[in-house]
Amino acid sequence: MKKKRYAIVLDTRRCIDCKACTVACKAENDVPLGDDKFRNWVSEEPLRGRYPNLGQSFAPSQCNQCENPPCNSVCPTSATGITAGGIVTVNPDKCIGCKYCMLACPYDARYFNEETGVIDKCTFCIQRIAVGRIPACVETCPTKVRTFGDLNDPNSEVSLLLAKNRYRVLKPELGTKPFLFYLI
Amino acid sequence: MSRLIDKKLSRRRFLGTSTCALATATVGSQARVLKALAESGEVTTSKVAGSKDVFTACGMCVNKCGVIARVRDGRIHKLDPNPDYIKSRGMLCARGNAGVKVVYDPDRLKYPLIRAGKRGEGKWRRASWDEALDLVAKKMNAIAEKYTRAGVMFASTEGTFQEHFFLQMAECFGSPNTVRHPTLCLSSNIQGFSATYGTFPTPDVLNSDYIIMAGANRSEALITPDSIDQLKGDGGRRKLVYIDPRFTKTAAKADEWLPIKPGTDMAFVLAMIHVIVAEGLYAKDFVETLTVGFDKLVPHIKPYTPEWAEKECEIPARDIRRIAREFAKAAPKAVFYPGRRSSFADDDVQLRRAMAILNAVIGNWDTEGGLVPNSKIKLQKHDYLAPWYDDVPERIDKGSAVFLSEKDGSWTAMRDRILAGKPYPVKGMMIYKQNVVMSVPNRAKTLKMMDQMDFICTIDITMSDTAWYSDVVLPEATYLERQDPLESLSGILPVVAFRQPCIEAMFESKPNLWIMQNLAKRLGSEIAETFDFTMDDLIHHQVSKNPKILKDLKSNGVHYMKVLPTYGLTRGKRLRTKTGKIEIYSANYAKKGLDPLPVYTKHAEVPAGKFRLLVGRNAYFTHWTTANNAYLHELMPENTLWLNTTSAKKLGLIDGQKVKVKSPVGEGTLKLEVTDKIRPDCVYMAHGFGVLSKGQSLIYGVGACDAALIEEKLEPISGNVAMHQTFVEVSPA
Ligand code: SF4
Ligand code: SF4
Ligand code: SF4
Repeated sequence: MKKKRYAIVLDTRRCIDCKACTVACKAENDVPLGDDKFRNWVSEEPLRGRYPNLGQSFAPSQCNQCENPPCNSVCPTSATGITAGGIVTVNPDKCIGCKYCMLACPYDARYFNEETGVIDKCTFCIQRIAVGRIPACVETCPTKVRTFGDLNDPNSEVSLLLAKNRYRVLKPELGTKPFLFYLI
Repeated sequence: MSRLIDKKLSRRRFLGTSTCALATATVGSQARVLKALAESGEVTTSKVAGSKDVFTACGMCVNKCGVIARVRDGRIHKLDPNPDYIKSRGMLCARGNAGVKVVYDPDRLKYPLIRAGKRGEGKWRRASWDEALDLVAKKMNAIAEKYTRAGVMFASTEGTFQEHFFLQMAECFGSPNTVRHPTLCLSSNIQGFSATYGTFPTPDVLNSDYIIMAGANRSEALITPDSIDQLKGDGGRRKLVYIDPRFTKTAAKADEWLPIKPGTDMAFVLAMIHVIVAEGLYAKDFVETLTVGFDKLVPHIKPYTPEWAEKECEIPARDIRRIAREFAKAAPKAVFYPGRRSSFADDDVQLRRAMAILNAVIGNWDTEGGLVPNSKIKLQKHDYLAPWYDDVPERIDKGSAVFLSEKDGSWTAMRDRILAGKPYPVKGMMIYKQNVVMSVPNRAKTLKMMDQMDFICTIDITMSDTAWYSDVVLPEATYLERQDPLESLSGILPVVAFRQPCIEAMFESKPNLWIMQNLAKRLGSEIAETFDFTMDDLIHHQVSKNPKILKDLKSNGVHYMKVLPTYGLTRGKRLRTKTGKIEIYSANYAKKGLDPLPVYTKHAEVPAGKFRLLVGRNAYFTHWTTANNAYLHELMPENTLWLNTTSAKKLGLIDGQKVKVKSPVGEGTLKLEVTDKIRPDCVYMAHGFGVLSKGQSLIYGVGACDAALIEEKLEPISGNVAMHQTFVEVSPA
């Protein structure tokens, strides 16, 4: 069987900033309470125009599961690694909580979990993938902004979406090779 | 705003502080899973012993989305959406996901409490259920004896699926004075559309090509499936025109946003009808065969030109004309969205009539993409024989509105009469989860009404402001701990919802049925007999004519009959109006001395130096019930006062400063949010803050309460309260 490469495709035009994804992620992954503790987030983009001609977009985001993750190379204990499916993970046994990776991540996707004493981040809900379920944020999203799947499968929903639509990734200039794709 | 939003700032800030963690004993599940992964070098299925999945229904708002609760070792770990639940398109919103924190909320009521200090002082003593219920029964009987049985009023929430037992208690006890939320919300809307169509229809949002939403903020006031369906379908065909004095998240998704002057929506609607009639764009055959009164509409609508409307509603005449033409062109797959809450102005019924008529003239009735009558799946009712009492008077608010609901009354009219003691005294309050102190406008008046009560008993899950001012507080089990009766939810695709316990009820909390049964026992055998059944008996009775319902619910968590809408079932049949047709002209209204066609009336202008206070919703909260939820509190830890940038400049006020807001009936202090997202003549604050109860520990002392400020005005046709007619002053705090 071919190796899998997981990705999430986001159609932000459908995002209503309801933050279901954020709460779902916190509950699913036991992310501690605290408004600086989260694996995913939705930013309100700045208001465009002036009253009464206004526009606004909402931008959901999380770890990009980069192919070249800068967080990986700075980790002094090799706690950060890339697992099957291309998912960037933190091994809690090796992590010493030095936070170098938090600074290195250009997407600010990591936080320090005081309850476990280690760095934590989005894992595409690896525990759900393992039992054949899709990530919590993807499943719960009311307007189906998010689509999850295997980019190595040309017939997966994510592959089809990227074949059919124009898209962009965040900060491509950094050469991180992100696997969150935003449709335009 | 929450730091989740400004996340760049927040996390970096924390980097500077000591990294030495309070590594507690709690190990997050993800750490556990990753550990397993690291050990085996593989992804493993980490099956925790004792885990189970339970089908149930969300109880966080009116929609009742289907849920699969993931329970691990007796603890609800995660609430996932039931993908089969067609009504909500298989989703769960932020509140639905935050339901776990309702169960494990340290602020939960744990056992019955009896007041030990003065009312509102917050001194309580723990009581046994026996002692508490004995006291409640004694007080109810004492009031009935001293006054009449109508001397005890019953205020109930809706949608817990157990409110039926509370209303049964009211009826069997013998009080006509029941009150629920409709007159704080949608009774004008139901009245206006029902007067026209004989029923309150549902807009077929999914299949509509042109939707106009006025004051229905569907990206934030979530209604399933509309909130999901409002977004463009495949190919981006649909057009959404959104009318609201605020640039909400629905405005952000709309093709056009029109910041209308509040209270003038009817001018916009009448002018649209004017254009459609004058230019002959209406559905001629439809109007001729299926409606009555179009001939009277033609002269009536003549003066309501777009140019006239522009002066009222401040939307340019050319836009009104263009939108009317586009709307008629898209017909019948076009809909002027009826909305839900209709507590805007004191002529809201006639506004809804105008909206109903606009839909009628383009002929979208009972067709794809138009207004579709609801279907409902039949469940057998629980019948009981209520005891008969001779000396019970009629509802205290009788006659306070032209079409007053027998069951729901009119909240504010009722309050006024209770305060006046006329026509008779009401001295006892039984409350089931309705937070009347925070929900009914003019909080000071509600507190005054409560002050003159001999006895107040509240059933709830947390110490609401209403519970805080009660004499006895009874803890109900939460929606995730109860078996509820089946509930049939009507819609274009109707469903039956199922709620079963995910865990045993914690502490001494009890389901409402148990509470009512044990209270009934103390009120006498006649009342007790009507409650002589178990929940199981009731559910089996509900499905006695169609046992498949229960089978589906057990295997899929939801029952439905069809997955595709059926249209046109009412064609060729009489509607439930007097004439059997769509009543553009209402002879029934004429007979009651009401305008048979909607006539525009001007409302008071905003006085100089003041602002109109607007109320509204956001997607993180359901009324007052969620602001203190730990997950949702993070998303919005306080409410702010929205004030337009130019207005703030004029007042010399700056973003983030504390301001005092003062209305003729109350005041509040909160943070100012200077924004372009609101008209310069309005201010807005989210509901749910400024609480009085210290039992809401995350939000006590934070923000302001809109109900403390709103001056209640009454819609005389429906008895609905009008909430957008209060003018406030804003000054530095
Ligand atoms: S759940 Fe979906 S719609 Fe809601 S904020 Fe997240 S991405 Fe946006
Ligand atoms: S994939 Fe899972 S871990 Fe990642 S943001 Fe979504 S819910 Fe959180
Ligand atoms: S819309 Fe949200 S709160 Fe309401 S029932 Fe559905 S999941 Fe629950």
